[in-house]
Amino acid sequence: MKEIMAIIRPKKVSKTKDVLDKLGYPAFTAVSVMGRGKQRGIAGEVNCEPPADILKRSGGMKYIPKRLISLTVHDADVELIVKAIIKVNHTGQIGDGRIFVSPVDNVVRVRTSEEGDQAIA
Amino acid sequence: MKMIRAMVRPEAADIITEGLAEGGFFSLTKMHVFGRGKQKGIKIGDVHYDELPKVMIMLVVKEDAVDEVVDLIKVNAYTGNFGDGKIFVTPIDATYTVRTGETGI
Repeated sequence: MKEIMAIIRPKKVSKTKDVLDKLGYPAFTAVSVMGRGKQRGIAGEVNCEPPADILKRSGGMKYIPKRLISLTVHDADVELIVKAIIKVNHTGQIGDGRIFVSPVDNVVRVRTSEEGDQAIA
Repeated sequence: MKMIRAMVRPEAADIITEGLAEGGFFSLTKMHVFGRGKQKGIKIGDVHYDELPKVMIMLVVKEDAVDEVVDLIKVNAYTGNFGDGKIFVTPIDATYTVRTGETGI
């Protein structure tokens, strides 16, 4: 089992949800986070019009609001899910986000005490 | 690659991120979290606070940079009191950049 953590644009969340649902992974966790990448935060990529003096300042905003979605998938599906997330979230602009894949030792479903692969949807 | 997750004092978060930026680690994600440690929260007078607000700073770095990043966080997060926080390092199998589809940091 692998955990896929994707940091994406907030406005792409619902499209990502639809695609993950179609691929058989409707379950995921989303957290509203702040972050910055190699470019150290760019004001131009938020949905609203930031004040001009913020845009003028070099370095732009300190942090950009992002959504962190995390889901645990079977080993065999990692590539499929990653490719799907990349396809949906790709705009070609800086700030599309990043995906991390990390190993998971065990998963337990609290309601039924199922463990391992069975506990994933 | 390793993921470094540091739970730190909210007031120290900006100092830490600035310290990391000076060391060349600009990219990071931070979020507000609540938690408690070994001391089971804090008791001030009659009021017992079970869960305390913290900021979680999360970044993924190459394996040879882990010690440097942990040191940078430790130096800037330190006050010597309970509640300075904890740092967790976990393995990461792969990273992808959405814009380019490339792997690697």
